[in-house]
Amino acid sequence: MDNVESAPDSPVQAPPSSASSLPKEQSQVELELRLLQALEFYPPSKLKGIHRHFVLYGLMEYLRKSLDRQFSSDEILQLLDRFFNLEMLKPEDDEKDNFSQAEDFSLPESFLNKEDNSK
Amino acid sequence: MGSSSNTNSSGGGSDKEEDKGKGKDSSEQSFKEGDRVLAYHGPLLYEAKVQRIENLDGERRYFVHYLGWNKNWDEWVANDRLLKLTEENMRKQQELEKNQVVDKTIKSGRSTQHKPKGSNDAKVDKDDTKSLVKGKKRKSQPGTEEKERRSSESLLVSQFPLMLKKQLVDDWEFVTQMGKLVKLPRSPTVDDILKRYLEHRTKKDSKINDSYAEILKGLRCYFDKALPAMLLYKKERDQYAEEVKNDVSPSTVYGAEHLLRLFVKLPELLAFVNMEEDALNKLQQKLLDILKFLQKNQSTFFVNAYDGKCKGADGTKAK
Repeated sequence: MDNVESAPDSPVQAPPSSASSLPKEQSQVELELRLLQALEFYPPSKLKGIHRHFVLYGLMEYLRKSLDRQFSSDEILQLLDRFFNLEMLKPEDDEKDNFSQAEDFSLPESFLNKEDNSK
Repeated sequence: MGSSSNTNSSGGGSDKEEDKGKGKDSSEQSFKEGDRVLAYHGPLLYEAKVQRIENLDGERRYFVHYLGWNKNWDEWVANDRLLKLTEENMRKQQELEKNQVVDKTIKSGRSTQHKPKGSNDAKVDKDDTKSLVKGKKRKSQPGTEEKERRSSESLLVSQFPLMLKKQLVDDWEFVTQMGKLVKLPRSPTVDDILKRYLEHRTKKDSKINDSYAEILKGLRCYFDKALPAMLLYKKERDQYAEEVKNDVSPSTVYGAEHLLRLFVKLPELLAFVNMEEDALNKLQQKLLDILKFLQKNQSTFFVNAYDGKCKGADGTKAK
């Protein structure tokens, strides 16, 4: 793993509190690796759109599962900030479309049928 | 989704049969990239979006994404599988769906009981118990099999609390059938309710639960965007224009009635996040917990009379 040298010497941006009890250097590398893995599921571009909170939630879950501790959303955003300029990211088109066209609400058939059945 | 077996024999130009039927003159009907359409997949029509168009051997091919379905279903289809998204065609879609449901209930008969027993059903109120007892031969929920393939939908749909379903049906009846509206602004608002849930949660876990906090933020964000885009019945549009002005967030005006509608739309929205299955299941559990919270507080969160005015209402008396 020595080829990953992205962790800076000074822990300027190291995540606060919760990481402190672990051996820092190594856990930091591990953390970054996992995070990059997670991005395969949750591309950073989605962190800009309407779905951002649920993408963040997905990242929290992923890291919690692979590193066995809780992560706050702030912690994750700080981490991401090292790799990406989050401000520059643009949301995907797909997401915008989703809400641009107003359509009327309609209750799915299954709800209405249910009612019929119980009468 | 079933096999796509309904290629309505119109290979080339079907100039002869120019009736009102589907596909009309399929060589004439054209779609653009980004168009919302209805697409046949097997016997049913699904709402879809045209992502790309290419010409293959002189024939136009459309790459469609079925809205609310996993991207794995995206596919190339020919012109004759697509219909314009018009009201007439949407009626057709509903008809097909209805027929399908009837078919299925007949076929599947009594052997299929999808709903897991226990916990969830334990404390349904009398109304539901009655229907349970009466309906020993309770039908499997229509379309469950199909729905289960929408990975993001399964849990949230199959375990949607019964009383809240009923609430939604009543809501539908008041607004669309009787022309009644919920009076705005509501109290508690969507905002209040989400905050109260976080408090409730924090008390239970004796610390702030970051996952829940993020989910609640996400719900609020969805709600504000989704309300005008997909959570209103047509008859509620004027009221919206009147009540939500400038930069007011819908989540500070509307209440539980509309929040509940969001939960119906959630599977569709969450499908865009493309979450891993494991995380998605956990998320759905949490969302169900929020629904249960709504149900527990049903009497205080939801209005008991729809008495807002609606233009063109026929003045039927509210309960």
